[in-house]
Amino acid sequence: MTVSAEPLPESDLREVIGLLVRLIESAGALIIFTGAVWAFVQFLRAGTGGAGGGARVDGFNRIRLGLGRFLVLGLEFQLAGDVLRTAVAPSFTEIGQLAAIAAIRTALNYFLGREIAQERAEIERAASAPPPAATGRPA
Amino acid sequence: MTDAPHLAAVAVTVLGLAAAVAAGRLTRAVRPALAVLLDFLTAAGLIGLSGDPGWDGVLTAAAVIALRRLLGAGLRLSRAAPRR
Repeated sequence: MTVSAEPLPESDLREVIGLLVRLIESAGALIIFTGAVWAFVQFLRAGTGGAGGGARVDGFNRIRLGLGRFLVLGLEFQLAGDVLRTAVAPSFTEIGQLAAIAAIRTALNYFLGREIAQERAEIERAASAPPPAATGRPA
Repeated sequence: MTDAPHLAAVAVTVLGLAAAVAAGRLTRAVRPALAVLLDFLTAAGLIGLSGDPGWDGVLTAAAVIALRRLLGAGLRLSRAAPRR
């Protein structure tokens, strides 16, 4: 008499991983959507506010930096979903689609990270620059 | 339920158009407003990629995102160019 003891059937594993992937991808999409709504509200508030020129540009850069951070965070969630998808052996078509999507997301993550670093450096440079009155020009 | 990412992507595109107008008012320049619009459109493309897009969806999203990043890079290059 043979006893077949399968700890977790593959079909169940596929289902569990599919559910997890859907959850993580939805979380990523939700983060990106929240970031877009947040940035929209900030732009609207800043655009209708009465701040001066320098404060306006500074505010603009900070909002863009915030939006970029939301995008990167959402992308990282989606990449985590891609990693999880590789846990079950998919068909060649699915592997191809997964590779294409992961390549797009990885490249975007890299470029967004670089842009955020550039933007942050610009903001820090602007913050550390002396005000125009302190440049030593005669009055 | 499968339409949710598509709807969210459309909503982000609409928000992006409005945010670009607000950014234009904020900075009083066209280039930053376009950069904001490109950021929102990239976000919309990313949301559109979630779920199960299929080959057509993947290729379209890849082409659109690549084109947007290219345009964004072009905008940054023209901003960095010295003025005469």
